[in-house]
Amino acid sequence: MADPRPDFAAATDQEVVVQARLGREVAYRELVRRYERPIFSLIYRMVRDRELAEDLAQETFVKALNAIDSYRPEYKFSSWIFKIANNAAIDHLRRKELSTLSLDGSPHAQTPEAMQATALQIGDRLETPLEELEARELGGEIEAAIARLRPEYRSCILMRHVEGRAYEEIAQILDLPLGTVKTYIHRARNELRQALAHLRE
Amino acid sequence: MTQDTPSHLSLADLDDWLAGNLTPGRREHLEACASCQQLAEAEHGLVELLSSLPHLDPAPGFADRVMAAVEIPDPFALRAVATWWQRLTSDRHRLAVAAGVMLLLLTGMGGSVAWSLANPDVVPGIGSWLSGEAAQWFWLTLRGLGSNLLEQPWYTAVRDAAGSPARLAFVAGGASVLYVTGMLAMRRLLSLPSAEVAHARP
Repeated sequence: MADPRPDFAAATDQEVVVQARLGREVAYRELVRRYERPIFSLIYRMVRDRELAEDLAQETFVKALNAIDSYRPEYKFSSWIFKIANNAAIDHLRRKELSTLSLDGSPHAQTPEAMQATALQIGDRLETPLEELEARELGGEIEAAIARLRPEYRSCILMRHVEGRAYEEIAQILDLPLGTVKTYIHRARNELRQALAHLRE
Repeated sequence: MTQDTPSHLSLADLDDWLAGNLTPGRREHLEACASCQQLAEAEHGLVELLSSLPHLDPAPGFADRVMAAVEIPDPFALRAVATWWQRLTSDRHRLAVAAGVMLLLLTGMGGSVAWSLANPDVVPGIGSWLSGEAAQWFWLTLRGLGSNLLEQPWYTAVRDAAGSPARLAFVAGGASVLYVTGMLAMRRLLSLPSAEVAHARP
């Protein structure tokens, strides 16, 4: 089969969704291709367990794509799928009450291999070992600080500053008033600034 | 803090500053206030650090696993036919059985066409006999239904009710009112809620 991407390279999400509703498998694959990394990253940074994040990301895509007919085009597709992903992560956190999370891997991992398999890999695209080490340390610090935030703050800060979503869109995704979203983001930034203060010294 | 000292930058001001939209008055304060400058620099550093966090890759084959679990609609049954054909052609035994059945059907159809061409008078004869029988059965059924209707106990009452134009108009009016009332009730029961419903979680 030919590479499906050229068909949709210039298409908007809405146009791809129209094709998906007609039953075109390539359109479904295109939606997965566009959002697999942002969705997986968001969920991973929420639950901090690679295997679990994969399961929740898969659940997110299956839910969204199986309900593609109920998607309303007046909303951004990205808002819709981020909403489903965030709900999946928050529901899981509420069920499991994961309060403190380890950067070294899943808190449920029983063996060193399992810890390694579920650990976050940072800085794997850098050029020199020194740069990689520095990025790992810096990335590890910020990831650890994000992991210590309350889940609601974590969702907000990740969507605002990692995914670059507007405040209004975040409010829509999280079903929260705009003022609450701003407050959460300000508090999260405040906590992160304090947690990372030693890096500036 | 005194009334004369302008207040330090709020978090909303810092947002404006990060977006490059700080008002001139607040900018003036920022340029003069070391404490606010320090805070703004820290915010800027933090936001840069957050926005530099990379997207992470799921394990290879993630998209295939998603696609295996997704039910893709097939409005024209094209994929179903393609799957059926692929399944058929992938197994030689199945293919042989299907070819045998197809051959039997084609032979039967060919034989039928050949026989019809060889006996041109027989087919129209059978056709006219069948249509005559069908017409006879149709009229017999209609007569049976008619006599059954006349024997119903309510038939006389209905005929009397529609016996005069005034009575007929009264019955028709009553029936229309009942019909309209029923339709309105159904419409009310089946209508969607008027208030906006929140975007549902699938």
